[in-house]
Amino acid sequence: MTQVAIVGTGQTVHARRRTDVSQAGLAREAVVEALNDAGLTMDDIDSIVVASGPAMFGSVNQPEKWLVDALGARYKPVVRVTSGGGTGLAGALAAVNQIKGGSARRVLVVAYDKLSEGPLQANISTLYDPFWGREFAVGIMGFSAAYWHARMKRLGHTEEAAAMVSVKNRHNSMLNPKAHVKREVTVEEVLASRPLCWPIKILDVPPISDGACAVILAADADAEAITPTPAWIHGISYVGEADNAPDRSMLQSEPLQIAAMKVYKEAGITNPFRQFDVAELQEPYTCFELSYYEGLGFCPEGGAAELIASGETTMEGSLPVNPSGGCMGANPIGATALIRLAEVAMQVTGKAGAHQVKGAQRGVAQAGGGWANLRGVAVVGAEKR
Amino acid sequence: MTLTDTTEVARSSAENMHYMPAQLTIPYTLTPGQATGIFIAELVNKRLLGSRHGDEIIVPAQDFSGSTGEPASGFVEVAPVGEVQAFTTNAKGTLGLVLIDGTTTPFLHKLVGFEPGSLEIGTRVAAIWSESPTGNSVLDLAGFGPIGEAGTFEPKSDPEGLAEPIEQIDYTMTLDFKHAYGAYYGTLFDGVETGRRIRGSKCSKCRRVLLPPRAVCDSCFAPATEWADVADTGTIQASSVVHIEFLGQRKQPPYVYAEIVLDGASTRLIHIVGDVDAERAKTAAAPGARVRAVWSDQHTGSLGDIEHFELIEE
Repeated sequence: MTQVAIVGTGQTVHARRRTDVSQAGLAREAVVEALNDAGLTMDDIDSIVVASGPAMFGSVNQPEKWLVDALGARYKPVVRVTSGGGTGLAGALAAVNQIKGGSARRVLVVAYDKLSEGPLQANISTLYDPFWGREFAVGIMGFSAAYWHARMKRLGHTEEAAAMVSVKNRHNSMLNPKAHVKREVTVEEVLASRPLCWPIKILDVPPISDGACAVILAADADAEAITPTPAWIHGISYVGEADNAPDRSMLQSEPLQIAAMKVYKEAGITNPFRQFDVAELQEPYTCFELSYYEGLGFCPEGGAAELIASGETTMEGSLPVNPSGGCMGANPIGATALIRLAEVAMQVTGKAGAHQVKGAQRGVAQAGGGWANLRGVAVVGAEKR
Repeated sequence: MTLTDTTEVARSSAENMHYMPAQLTIPYTLTPGQATGIFIAELVNKRLLGSRHGDEIIVPAQDFSGSTGEPASGFVEVAPVGEVQAFTTNAKGTLGLVLIDGTTTPFLHKLVGFEPGSLEIGTRVAAIWSESPTGNSVLDLAGFGPIGEAGTFEPKSDPEGLAEPIEQIDYTMTLDFKHAYGAYYGTLFDGVETGRRIRGSKCSKCRRVLLPPRAVCDSCFAPATEWADVADTGTIQASSVVHIEFLGQRKQPPYVYAEIVLDGASTRLIHIVGDVDAERAKTAAAPGARVRAVWSDQHTGSLGDIEHFELIEE
C-alpha cells in the first residue's frame, strides 16, 4: 500500500503583526523554507493545497487565486481547503489523498492566516447560524469557556490544571525559534490573570498571530529520493459532527475519539501513552489540551488533571506534549494545525533543534476546529510501515 | 398538527417577511506588502512605479512575478500614460485595462472624462491624479483620462528617493445579506413574534424535540414530522462569564454567556443570563442552574425578542 511521507517543512517568522509582507508574501515565506528543506523547486511540485481560515479573517475571498503569483504556481492544480481551526491538517489530508489517488506525486500544502488584519472574535461569530446563536456568540471563546466550565465538575478539569498547561507550553516556547511569545509564567500568575470569558483568563489564551506553514508530501520511492529522512504518515483522519444535534453533552469530542480510533488502528497504536514519543496538540485555549489527553487516550476520562500534574507531558516526562510550545508560542489559526504536523515530522526526523525530544521515533499530531465538532489526528513516524 | 399545516403561513405573506436582512460591517487593517506599499506611497508624488521581473515590468509594482513566483529584481518609474486594452461601462462609470507604456501587464483602473462613444480599444490615456490624495489609497490615482498634452518616456530603472512603503491600510468591508427564513425558522419566529410561542420539531423515530426546528433529525436521520411546544424555561448546559469587549457585542460586559436547554427540547440555545453579578455567576449561573426567558418589549421575530434569561432562584 502507498505510504506517504512528509519530505520538507517550513514556517514563517510568526508575529503579532507582519507589516513587511502581504498575505501572499507571508505564505510564500513558508513555502520557500519548505522547498529548501526538501531540496526542491516549484518545478518539482505537481499540485498545491492552500489551507486557510474563513475568508472573513483577511477580507480576501478565494485567496488561493492571489497566492498563485507569489508561489509561482501558475498552470498547476491549486485548491483551497478550509475547515475551522483544524484547516491545516485537513489540507494535509487532501494532499495525502491526492497522492494516494494517483493524481499527483509531490504535493505542497501551504497553510496560513494573517490574523492581524481583521477583528478575530467578531469574525469567528460569523460562523454561527445568523438566526440561531450569532447575535449572542462570543466568537469561539464564550462557547469554549462555557463547556470548560461544564467539564470542571464532571471531569475535574480545574483552573489549576489548565494553568499548568499554560506554564508548560509557554516554558517550551522559550526554545522554539519560531515562537513569537516567549514569556514564562507560573500557575499563580495564570490563575490571577485577567478573565476574558471566565473560566478562560488571558494567560489561558494563545497569541493572535500572522504566520504560515508549508509541508511537502510524497510517497514511497519519491519520498526516499527526496530525503534520507522522510517522516512517514502512519495514519491520518479528520472527522466532523452535526453542530446542533440533540443531546450533545460536549464533555468529550466524539469526532476526536472516532478519528483517533481510526488512525490508531491504521498505525498499530494500542497504548498511545507508551507508544508515542512526542505529541503536538492544537490547544486554542489551555482547557483544550486537557480534553485532548482524554480524547486521544493518553489517560482515562477524567484523568487529564492528574496527567498534567504528574509532569509526564513536560519535556522531561515520558510523553512530551507540545515541545514547540503549541499555540501558546504562536497561533496563526489557519496554519496552526499544519504547524503541529510539521513539528511532529521535525521531531521524528531529529530536525527539531533546541526543542528536540531526544530519540523521538513516533508521534501524534492533533488538530481541532470548534469546541468539539471538527477533529483531526495524524500519526507520524521515522520508520516506514 | 402536522408541519405542512403551519409552514404555509411562515413569516406571513408579506414579501419582506420571508427574509431577515443582516449587515456585516467589518473593519480591517490590510498589509499591502513592500512593492504595493511603495507604489501607493508614491502616488501622492505623482509617480507611477512598476516592478521589474526579468523582461517584464508590472504596474502597480508587485513583490512577486505571476509568471515565475520570483521576487522583483527592482523598481522602475514609468510614464503615467498608456493605451486602453479593454473597457466596460455601467451606470457608475467606466473601468478599463490600461497598458502603461513600457510595461507588460495591464493595469485595471477607472477611465474618466471621455465623451460617450469616444473611447476605443487603443485609445491613448494619461493619469489623472486625485486633487485630495489620502496617501494610502490606489485612488490617489483617480483614474486615466484623455491624453491631452501628456508625454511619455522610457521606464527609468532604480528611481531615486523612493518613499517608505505604506505598511497598513484601513479598510471596511460592508456586506448586506438577506437570509431566507424558510418554513421552519419562519414558523418558529412567527410564533415567537406574535404569541411568544417557542416550537421545535419532533423526530418521528427518537421523539426528541429539535430546536431550532428542522426537517430531519441530526441523530436518526428520520423525518421530524410534528411540531412541539417548548417552554420558555430551561436549564443551563454550559456557561461562561464574559468580560471581553468586542465588535458587535449586544450587551456591555460583564454578563453570562449561556447554552440553555429549554424544557421540552433536546438541543441547546445560545443566549445570555442577565442581572447577575459576575462573581456570583460563577456558581449561581453554573451548568445545571434553572433559568426563565425575560421577553423584550420588541417584537422582531428573532431570538432577540428574549431580552435575556434570568435565574430561577430556588
